[in-house]
Amino acid sequence: MTDKPMTRGSMTRRTFWIALLMVWSLGPMLWQLVSSFTTADALVNDQLSFWSRWTLNNYRDLLTTDPPFWRYLFNSSFVASLTTLLTLMFAIPAAYGMAKLPDRWRGSLRAAVVGAALFPYVLLFLALLELARTFALGNNLIAIAIPYSALSMPLALLLLTAAFEALPNDLEDAAKLEGLSLWQRLRWVLLPLIAPASASTAILVFLFAWNEYPVALTWLSRSDLLTLPVAMARIAGSSTYSVPYGTYAAATVLGAIPLLVLVLVFQRQIVSGLTNGSIKG
Amino acid sequence: MTLQLRAINKRFGKRQVLNQLCLDVANGECVALLGASGCGKSTALRLIAGLDHPDQGSIRINGAEMVDVPAERRRVGMVFQSYALFPHLNVWENLELGLRMRGGTAGARDERIRSVLEVLQLSGQARQRPSQLSGGQRQRVALARALLRDPLVYLLDEPMSNLDAQLREDLRPQLRRLMIGGEQPVVYVTHDQQEAMALADRIAVMREGCIEQIGTPRELYLQPASTYVAQFIGRPQMNLLRAKDGVITGIRPDDLRLDSAGSPCTILSREWFGANQMLLVRCDRGDLRLVCPGETEIEAEPRVSWPSASEHHFDAVSGRRLPSD
Repeated sequence: MTDKPMTRGSMTRRTFWIALLMVWSLGPMLWQLVSSFTTADALVNDQLSFWSRWTLNNYRDLLTTDPPFWRYLFNSSFVASLTTLLTLMFAIPAAYGMAKLPDRWRGSLRAAVVGAALFPYVLLFLALLELARTFALGNNLIAIAIPYSALSMPLALLLLTAAFEALPNDLEDAAKLEGLSLWQRLRWVLLPLIAPASASTAILVFLFAWNEYPVALTWLSRSDLLTLPVAMARIAGSSTYSVPYGTYAAATVLGAIPLLVLVLVFQRQIVSGLTNGSIKG
Repeated sequence: MTLQLRAINKRFGKRQVLNQLCLDVANGECVALLGASGCGKSTALRLIAGLDHPDQGSIRINGAEMVDVPAERRRVGMVFQSYALFPHLNVWENLELGLRMRGGTAGARDERIRSVLEVLQLSGQARQRPSQLSGGQRQRVALARALLRDPLVYLLDEPMSNLDAQLREDLRPQLRRLMIGGEQPVVYVTHDQQEAMALADRIAVMREGCIEQIGTPRELYLQPASTYVAQFIGRPQMNLLRAKDGVITGIRPDDLRLDSAGSPCTILSREWFGANQMLLVRCDRGDLRLVCPGETEIEAEPRVSWPSASEHHFDAVSGRRLPSD
């Protein structure tokens, strides 16, 4: 009897904190969502009646510009998917190799990779621009995936190496004795077992490529090849005298939808991959 | 089919794990590698399997040199202590994976898996994941996988040490029926002397990377080559008396007798097991373990003696057995 009110008290307190956290993190998004359906007048004038505030014009404007907004969505999806694919294609074999290295080399190699992962990549964008010029890689959606996957590589390596290291050695030994070659072991035993880590790595890489701004700004200039962040910056700066808040908010909402879908689909893998230790021997 | 190891050396960093190891296992023979942890017995097994490579020496199966043959092509069936079942596959898929990769028709595969599952009483579990199985069932799946490998040699790495005592006794006859005494040589690594005595034709007691003694369980029990072997084989372990004139005398606890004409002792502890009981007594030559029938009445100050024929003599310095005179 005596501890019941206390439990209830701590429960309500916890609910309160969780609610506060939700408001804190979801508030800006809700604000954007509401703004995207609000007329330009209503955004600056709070005297308007509730019923005359709402509009779909922001979305219509966005989809009728030239090139239409869905073009940028497509560009970003394409670049991000290609980046993710490239990164995993190289990072998985590399991580396997790193996990198999003798301890004394692994330590220094890991330190180098951590260093690369922590390096502020913005400092590289001038050098990258030079590369794009020299090799004529500008304005090419396939080419821009190369620096993107190179920049994501250190993080992907760290996550995947940890996943390979967490696998019990006996499993691969057993597969060897079953007569499986290296590629067969990777395909049938190791890859399925690190799938959660691969999924969370893929999401992080996708997210990086989706959000990336400085490299996209310098490598892409043709308006039909822009990726979302650059396109949105252009919308925001399209008029000298006013910022089109409504259109901008609508672009934010549309730009977030593919990511939301991705995270919802892979939710389970992401959580189990991030918390790791999910592989039981 | 035979297995031959010749002068195997293996070191990990500074530690010499195997030192000039030689071992022969004949067709259908089961040799147990017995020893404390770190004596190199598991390393020896991994070298035979090809999972590690010897620094020097030769490993032959049926006369063919194996040192340069990769593990994938050695055709050995191994049962791991951890079972090493693939957690993402169900029992059927676990067994099928290797068969599928090695080729063969789907029909023949299904037939073989079905019959092995039948033999090991796992038919009902075919669609379950390893995590849903009990320890004993996992162990049987691991055995099934090794059987389906159709190997030249069976290697068992402490296959039962993760099971409780009851289950171990139940599984021993199955193991003997399925693997031991077939055509293939069997190498069985264990630290449990009882298991080794029960299953092996010969036991190799290992110590610091060498075989201290190899022989039938009977030879090892009756003629232990050193104090180390003497203490490893037979439970409760052999009593070693304090050295006298450079000679250590050993007496098995079962050879000690309560004898009113013997030397006086005091009882330190008593464990009663039903059929027999074990006493720990202190006499002028040291502490002694004594096993006698469970019904025997024990006096507060018993007297014990032993026939001199049952004494074992060892050199006090080297620990080696001295020839009995």
